[in-house]
Amino acid sequence: MVGVGGEYKPDFEGTNRSMLSPVPIFSIRRAGSTEQFRGPRDSASIALIDFGDLRAGPAAKFVSSRKANNYSELNGLGDVKTTVELGGFVEYYPVDWFRTRGELRQGIGGHHGVVADLSADVIVPLIQRLTISAGPRFTWESTNATSPYFGIDAVQALATGLPAFDAKGGAHSVGAGAQVSYRINPQWEVHAYVEYERLLGDAAKSPLVTLRGSPNQTTVGIGASYAFDFKIR
Amino acid sequence: MCRSDRRASFTAVVLVAVSVSACAAFDTRDTKLQAVKTVGIISAVGDEIIFAKGGLTGLNNRSQSFPIASWGLDDLIVQQATTALNGRFQVQPVSYNRAAFTAIKDSPVAPVNLVRGDAFKKLVQTEVSPQGLDAYIVITKAKSSFGSGPRKIEGIGLITYGTVMESYNQVHALYEIRVFDGKTFEIIEKMTAPPLDDGGQVTIAGPSRRIDEISPSDTGNPAANEKLHAAIADLVARSLSTTLSDMHLADVR
Repeated sequence: MVGVGGEYKPDFEGTNRSMLSPVPIFSIRRAGSTEQFRGPRDSASIALIDFGDLRAGPAAKFVSSRKANNYSELNGLGDVKTTVELGGFVEYYPVDWFRTRGELRQGIGGHHGVVADLSADVIVPLIQRLTISAGPRFTWESTNATSPYFGIDAVQALATGLPAFDAKGGAHSVGAGAQVSYRINPQWEVHAYVEYERLLGDAAKSPLVTLRGSPNQTTVGIGASYAFDFKIR
Repeated sequence: MCRSDRRASFTAVVLVAVSVSACAAFDTRDTKLQAVKTVGIISAVGDEIIFAKGGLTGLNNRSQSFPIASWGLDDLIVQQATTALNGRFQVQPVSYNRAAFTAIKDSPVAPVNLVRGDAFKKLVQTEVSPQGLDAYIVITKAKSSFGSGPRKIEGIGLITYGTVMESYNQVHALYEIRVFDGKTFEIIEKMTAPPLDDGGQVTIAGPSRRIDEISPSDTGNPAANEKLHAAIADLVARSLSTTLSDMHLADVR
């Protein structure tokens, strides 16, 4: 399946400015089958263990670099390199219309911390072609995952005019998301979603957020995808 | 020769080698099929029908299984495959332990399936008689996900999909076909029966169709339900010749 979408989201975590950017859509699945439910915040993943209602496997997420000279509020903070987060996921469906999912990932690159995402979604088919879903979100991050983005050391404080801040890990954000998808025909599908999260703990207390940003982070996205068969002999 | 020329030459050699080996793989399959004269057909698809629910269901949505061996679906499959293949191959009757073939299940742990290889290979060697034919065509149950939920469906079944506004039923006959070399017992060709053109909106990776005249609540004893029997037999009949044709085993379209 290939497709394209657009996402209006914060330029970087903790900012109060947002930007519209294109999002590629790509997935491989068995010919004729529909794609299993996927939340907008889910990392890329493969279910190596699949009991149907219980699935688990590796997961990976790409976190873009944060360039200080691209945003005036970051001047003096220095860059945070691109991070690849590698780990695993487990998801469980007590019934067909309710999914719970957990991810645990270790950062490599821009941060070297641990990130845990928890989510739950009620998935309601309104009619045959139209499905809506919604549910709560929660993220926990270790100190090593939080401090590169929200900590301000003495040198940075001098360069930015912000007070020094030692960002520790812990509960990172809580929020909710909702998605609607419409299947035009077996090949074409369109979808839209909104994800809101409120930063918590030291991420929310960082002067970068309290003085120059916002703890409220909202992402809105739309997309269209086309499924087709190909055969490898 | 400068370094960039050497690199270009090496790349060209690798590309040629990959292309030649890919062509060789295709040639091997076609060559093997051309050499096949006598075949035996094994079918282990239709011993049970599974009733399942998906979409917006109640809390108790366990699937139910009912025996339908009395329908003789496997005999029908062998008969129809024989008719389709007879122009090209000499189809010879074989006897086999059907229960052993239906008992094979994929592991839910994907790497286990990769490590243990195709479980039907050994059965063709040990549970089929006579041995010594050029090839054996093995038709067994296939699996598919259903809708956007976690539910997996398999083989012959009737699913009820619930939404807020409506609920409907869909019958399916999911199967896959393997062609085993009768001497080495390696797989020459394998394919899962594809969806039919009128498969409906909640697509399933195999032959299926929406069926409004049957509901699980009025089927009682599914084995005695002639409408259900006819619907499944129709799915098999319409999909089998197409799949054999797609595998280049029969030209019956």
